[in-house]
Amino acid sequence: MKWNNVKIFAFNFWHTITKLKAFYILYAIFILLTAYSAVSGIQNYNTQKNIRLEHQLKARQSWEANPDKHPHRMAHFGTFAFRVNPSLAMFDSGLESYMGNTVFLEAHRQNSVNFSEAVFSTGMLRFGELSLALLLQLVLPLMLFFIGFSTISADRENGTLRMLISQGATFKELLFGKSIGLFAVSLLFLVPILLVVLLALIVIGDESMNDLLWLRFIIIALSYLTFLFVISSITVLMSAKSSASKNALLRLLGIWLLLVVLLPKSTQSIGNYWFPIPSKLSFQSEIEKEVIQKGDSHNPDDPHYNSLRDSVLKVHNVSEITDLPFNYAGFVMREGEKITSQVYREHYEGLIGIYNNQNNLTKYSSFINPFTAIKYISMTMSNTDFASYTDFQDKADAYRYQLAQTMNELQMEYISPKKKSGSEGKTHVVDHEHWKEFQDFEHHSMSFQDTIKEALPALLSMFIWMLISISLLIVNAKKVRAI
Amino acid sequence: MRLYKLYFQQCIRSKEVWLSLLLIIILGILGIYIGAKHVNRHQAAIDEVKLYQEQHLKRQVSLHNEDIGLLLYYAKFAYINTLSPLAGIAIGQSDINPTVKRITIKTFEGQKYDTDLLNPMNSQSGNLDLSFVIIYLFPLLIIVLTFNLISEETESGTWRLVAVQSKSKLTFIITKLLVRMLLFLGVVVFLFLIATVKLKLAFSLELLWMFGMSVLYMFFWFTITFFVISFRKSTGFIALALLAIWLVIIILLPAGINAYITSKYPIPEALSTAIAQRDGYHVKWDTDKRATITKFYDHYPQFKEYGYPTEGFNWLWYYAMQQMGDDDSKGEKEALNDKIKQREKTSKFMASILPNMHLQLAFNYLAGTSMSRQMNYLNATGKFHEKLRLFFYPKIFENHKAEMIDWAQFKPEHFRTDINIKPSRLVLPTLLASLLMVLLSIPNVRKF
Repeated sequence: MKWNNVKIFAFNFWHTITKLKAFYILYAIFILLTAYSAVSGIQNYNTQKNIRLEHQLKARQSWEANPDKHPHRMAHFGTFAFRVNPSLAMFDSGLESYMGNTVFLEAHRQNSVNFSEAVFSTGMLRFGELSLALLLQLVLPLMLFFIGFSTISADRENGTLRMLISQGATFKELLFGKSIGLFAVSLLFLVPILLVVLLALIVIGDESMNDLLWLRFIIIALSYLTFLFVISSITVLMSAKSSASKNALLRLLGIWLLLVVLLPKSTQSIGNYWFPIPSKLSFQSEIEKEVIQKGDSHNPDDPHYNSLRDSVLKVHNVSEITDLPFNYAGFVMREGEKITSQVYREHYEGLIGIYNNQNNLTKYSSFINPFTAIKYISMTMSNTDFASYTDFQDKADAYRYQLAQTMNELQMEYISPKKKSGSEGKTHVVDHEHWKEFQDFEHHSMSFQDTIKEALPALLSMFIWMLISISLLIVNAKKVRAI
Repeated sequence: MRLYKLYFQQCIRSKEVWLSLLLIIILGILGIYIGAKHVNRHQAAIDEVKLYQEQHLKRQVSLHNEDIGLLLYYAKFAYINTLSPLAGIAIGQSDINPTVKRITIKTFEGQKYDTDLLNPMNSQSGNLDLSFVIIYLFPLLIIVLTFNLISEETESGTWRLVAVQSKSKLTFIITKLLVRMLLFLGVVVFLFLIATVKLKLAFSLELLWMFGMSVLYMFFWFTITFFVISFRKSTGFIALALLAIWLVIIILLPAGINAYITSKYPIPEALSTAIAQRDGYHVKWDTDKRATITKFYDHYPQFKEYGYPTEGFNWLWYYAMQQMGDDDSKGEKEALNDKIKQREKTSKFMASILPNMHLQLAFNYLAGTSMSRQMNYLNATGKFHEKLRLFFYPKIFENHKAEMIDWAQFKPEHFRTDINIKPSRLVLPTLLASLLMVLLSIPNVRKF
C-alpha cells in the first residue's frame, strides 16, 4: 500500500464533497443545531448550578442561625445535600435530568434524593434531550452516512472504479483513502463543537466539579475521534460492498436505526424485565425487620440495648445510667445510628447491585455497538452517568452519618447524664458555636480514577472497534469488485 | 376488487416489507409484555402494602398503646394511585412517579415528593411499550412501505403503462395507498387485540380513543409520504427526504422544544419549598410555644378548647409545629404549583403542533400516566393527609389509648378520578396537520 495513493484518494474525496452545494446545506443545519444546543446547554448548566449553590447556601444559613439547643434537635434539623452539576454536563447531559437534585439529611433516616427534572416534566422529556453530545452521537453519524454512502458504489456505477484500478491503484489504498477523507470531513463537524466546549470550560468551567477536567476533556475528544473514524470506515465499507448506492444507503440507515434506537432501548428494557427492583415498601420493611432483630433503640425492652446497658453500667461500676460520666441517651443513639446505618448500607448495596445488573446488558453491549460505547464513555467522562449518581448518594450518606454521630457525641459530652430523654427546652443545650464548627456538605464529583474504572469496558471496546474497522478495511479490500 | 387484491399482492411481495412487518409486530408484542409487567409490578406493590399496613399498625399499637402521639409519629398510611390497565399500553410518567405513597400525619410537604427506588438509566432509556412502537416505529414502517410507490413504476418503466391503463393516475396512487393503509390498519387492530387480551382490558371509551388516535396518527404519516412522493423525484431522494422528516419530527424537534422548556422554566421553587417546610417546623422548637399554638388554632379554630399547654414537651405543641411546616411553606408551595402549571401549558401548546408529541401526551392522559394526573394525585394525597390529621388530632390532644381506636378502618385508600375526554382537543391537532399535508400536495397532484 502506497501512502501517497492513500493521500490522493483522501484529498480527492475531500475536494469532491466540499464542492457540493448540498454539503453546505447539511453543514449549515448542523452548525445551527450546534449553536442552539450549545446555548441551551450552557444556559441550563448555569441556571442549575446557580439554583443549587444558592439553595445550599440558604440551607446552610438557616443551619448556622440555630440558637443554643439540644444536639439531637440539630440532628433532626438536618441539612440538605445538593448535587452540583458537573461542568461537562453542558456538553453531555447524560442522566442529569433523571437524577434527583437534593436529599434531606437527618438522623435515623435515609431519605430519597428528590426533585429530578423528570418528575416535573410532561411526557415530552422522554423524546430525548438536545445536547452537543447527542448531535455527535446520533445526528453526525447519520450525516456522515448521507455524505459517504455513494463514494465507492457511485464510482462503480459510472465506471471510474475500473479505470482507477487499471491505472495501478489498489482497493486497499482506495478504502483507506476514502475512509480517511470522510473522517477528515467529519472533523469539520467535530472541531467546532470541541472548540465551543473548550471555550465554555475555560470561561465558566469549574475544575472542582470534574476531577482532572482537562484530562477528561482530552479523553472525550480522542474517543469521539476514534468513533468518527469507525463510522467513516463503516460507511465506506458499506458503499464498497453494496451493489448499488441505494442499497448502501438503506443498509446504513438500517444499521443506524438498529444500533441507535432499537438495541439500546431493548437491552435496557430487558435488563429491567429480568432484574426487578423491589418495591420501596419491601426494601424498607426488610431493613426494619433486620434492625428489630439486631437491636431497636426505640424499643424500651430491646434485649440488645438491655445487655448493652448492663455491660456499660458494669464497666463504669455504677448502678444507674444517670451516674455515668456521659449522657447515656446520646450513647444509645450513637449505637443505634451505627446499627441502622450498617443494615441500611448492606441493603442499599444489594439494590445498587440490582441496578448494575440492569445496566450491565447495555454497558457490555458496547462490544457489539460502537454507538453505545461512545455514549457510555461520553457520559462517564462527563460525570453525568449512573456511577456518578451513586457516588453522590454515597457521599451524601457518609456526611449524614457524620452529622448524626457528631451530634450524638456532642450530646454525650455536653448534655448532663441526669437528662435521661427528651430534647425540648432551653436548659439542656449545647452552645451554638458548635453548629458552625460542623462543616457544610460540599459535593465533589467522582474521582478520575473511579471514572476510568467505570469507563474501562467502553474504552476498551472503542479501541477494539478501531482495530476491527481497520482490519475490515484490509480484509474487504480483497473482496471488492470493480464492476 | 380484483384490482385491490392485485395491489395487495404486489405490496407484500417484497422481502423487505415482510421483514419489517414482522419486526414491528414482534416489537409491538414485546412492548405489550413490558407494559403488562409494569402493571403487574404495580399491582403486586398494592397487594403488598395492603397486607403490610395491617401488621404495621398492629405493631405500632402494641408498642405505643399508652402514647398515641408517639404512635402517630411512626404510623404510616397508604394512599394509592391505581393504574388503569391502559398504563400497559402507555407507561408514560408512571415509571418515574411513585404510585403508592405511605405518609405520616407529620408535615406533608416533606413527604410529598419522596421518590420510589429508581434506576436513572432505565428512566433515561425510556420504556419500550406499545406507545413507543406506535409513535416512533410505525412512521418508519409507513415510510418503508410507501417511499417507492410512484418512483418504482417510473424507474421500471411501468408508469406509462399505468397512465394508459387506469382512468386516473391519482386514483391509481390513492388505491395503492389505501391498500397499504388497510394492511396497516390490520397491524394496528392485531396489536390492540393482543394488548386487550394480555392486559385484560375491558372495553372502554379510553381504549377506543387510543385506538382511534393511533389510526389518525397513522393517517397523518400517510399524508406526509403522499406529499413527498407527489414530487415524483427518484427513489433515493424520496427515501432520504422521508427519513430526514422522520428524524426532525420524531427526534430533533421534540428534543429542541424540551431544551427550550427546561431552560425557560427552571424550577428553583421545588428546592425553596423543601427548605421552607424544614425551617417552618424545626425553628418552632426554639420560638415561643404559645405563638405556635395560636397560629395552629388560627388554622383549625375547632381545636381551641384544648388550650395552650406550654410546659415542657407535649404532643399538641409538637403537632402544631409539624403543621407549621406546611403552613409556613405555603407561599413557596403555591409558587411551585404555578410553575408546574406554566410548564404544562407550554408543553401542551407545543405538543399540539407536533402530532407525535400530541399523541404521546394524549396516550398518557387517557392511560392516566400523565404528569397532570400525578399532580392531581399528589394534591389528593394532601387532602387524604388532612383527613387523617383531623381524625387524629383530637385523639392525640385528649391522649386516647391507642387500642380504643378501630385501626382496621385504616385500609390503604385509592385515588380515583374521571378522565374527561374532549374529542375536539384530541382529534384536531393531528387532523389539521394531516389536512395541511393534503392541501400542500394539491399543486403537485394537478401536474399528474
